[in-house]
Amino acid sequence: MIVIENVEKRFGETTVLKRINLTIEPGEVVTILGSSGSGKSTLIRCINGLEALSGGSITVDGNDVSTKAGLAAARRRSATVFQLFNLYPHMTALENITLAPINVLKKPRAEAEARARELLKLVGLADLASAYPQRLSGGQRQRVGICRALAMDPNYLLLDEVTSALDPEMTGEVLDILAELARGGTTMLFVTHEVEFARRISSRIVFLEQGELIIDMPTERFFAEDGGFAVPRIRQFLTKMKKD
Amino acid sequence: MRYADFTPYDLVLLAQGLGVTVGLFTLTTLVGLLIAALFTLVDYYRVPVLRQVIVTISEALKNSPVLVQLFLVFFGLPAFFHINMTPFVAASLTISLNTAAFAFVIFRSGIDAVEADQVAAAKVYGHSRWQILRFVLLPQAAAFSIGPLVGLLVNQLQVTSLISVIGVFDLTKIGNILNLRTLEPFIVWTVVGLLYYALAKLLASVGARIEKRLRRSVVWEGI
Ligand SMILES: Nc1ncnc2c1ncn2[C@@H]1O[C@H](COP(=O)(O)OP(=O)(O)OP(=O)(O)O)[C@@H](O)[C@H]1O
Ligand SMILES: [Mg+2]
Repeated sequence: MIVIENVEKRFGETTVLKRINLTIEPGEVVTILGSSGSGKSTLIRCINGLEALSGGSITVDGNDVSTKAGLAAARRRSATVFQLFNLYPHMTALENITLAPINVLKKPRAEAEARARELLKLVGLADLASAYPQRLSGGQRQRVGICRALAMDPNYLLLDEVTSALDPEMTGEVLDILAELARGGTTMLFVTHEVEFARRISSRIVFLEQGELIIDMPTERFFAEDGGFAVPRIRQFLTKMKKD
Repeated sequence: MRYADFTPYDLVLLAQGLGVTVGLFTLTTLVGLLIAALFTLVDYYRVPVLRQVIVTISEALKNSPVLVQLFLVFFGLPAFFHINMTPFVAASLTISLNTAAFAFVIFRSGIDAVEADQVAAAKVYGHSRWQILRFVLLPQAAAFSIGPLVGLLVNQLQVTSLISVIGVFDLTKIGNILNLRTLEPFIVWTVVGLLYYALAKLLASVGARIEKRLRRSVVWEGI
């Protein structure tokens, strides 16, 4: 369980997150929606410890990310997939995927590589294990990024706009994989602008507005006329998204 | 045959001078790179106080003439601390430190050139600071650094000729001796110059080969 309590984040004078409360239970797929600059990425970066909290607390399966030991434990339980993939360019797809399992989880190399090949097969990249990222298309790179995350056997996947750097066809490739994972019961916290996709795969939708979490609803409620749609700000957001 | 004519023995002298130059260059390069590596570690781990000290030292070394540094070490240190200093030790010390100062800057920019996004990924995947340095930063920094580093070393090879002024019998000093004896400056300095040239070319080609190997795996973007 990821528990976010009264989280505040300030950069200097600007408050980017205001008293955020959110709980993610195992098996849930929670989508974070919100316009640009509302603090979605910052929230993800607070969970994986790339940003220090200005107030409140975040625990991942009971591990407090504000402490050194807690953060290390929290990072073993969650894995992040990045918007710009953030692969290591000097390593092959296989090496990218096995680096952390071997050096952080201390898995034997053979076992880590076997698992990595299995994952590459799962995402349709079995033949590209020894390819370097620069030879891969964006969609293929992101699929490697997803394999790198899954190779950690994470309890939680954190995904920050993982398709927004991809063209529509490649977006499809990646979303199909995520939908498959969601069906398989992987717990995900998912930042996206793909509203229709979010509607299909998520169990809950939360909405960030200028650093405040103003809505937290089951997906059907969120899209219902008398639910999320009844909130003027949400209606406006969804209508605008449809048009884009 | 006049006393001052070239003799076959002059070739032996030249070879000795060449040996001293190559030996001193190799020694100062190894020591210099080792010191630069230690400086880089201090900088990477942000060791308090020590970090400011090395930055100051390296600034001082980069922004003053090598000849002045050489005089300070050879004449200044013995006078001030009442110690003995042979020309060879003074020359080795000065050029090692000078190489270290410049190589440190090259190493540091090599590390800085690696995208912050990759470091962020390595952090969230739980790698230690040492693992990030070893697996993510160093392989890429090495590939970024090797070109500038070879350029630096070719330059440092030429800089070694300065040590002849404090009486080290390097290639330039031998050239000087032959010149004074034969009064054939054109021939002597052409030969000496060609020898430096050949060494520099050799160094550059070895460097190019290493660079190719370091970059073999990746078509680097945007460098
Ligand atoms: N390191 C930083 N220093 C200062 N301000 C920052 C920093 N990182 C983010 N911000 C600010 O915090 C706010 C929220 O940024 P964030 O990236 O979390 O938004 P977002 O919801 O992910 O937006 P987008 O949809 O464009 O990705 C923005 O106003 C941004 O300018
Ligand atoms: Mg963002």
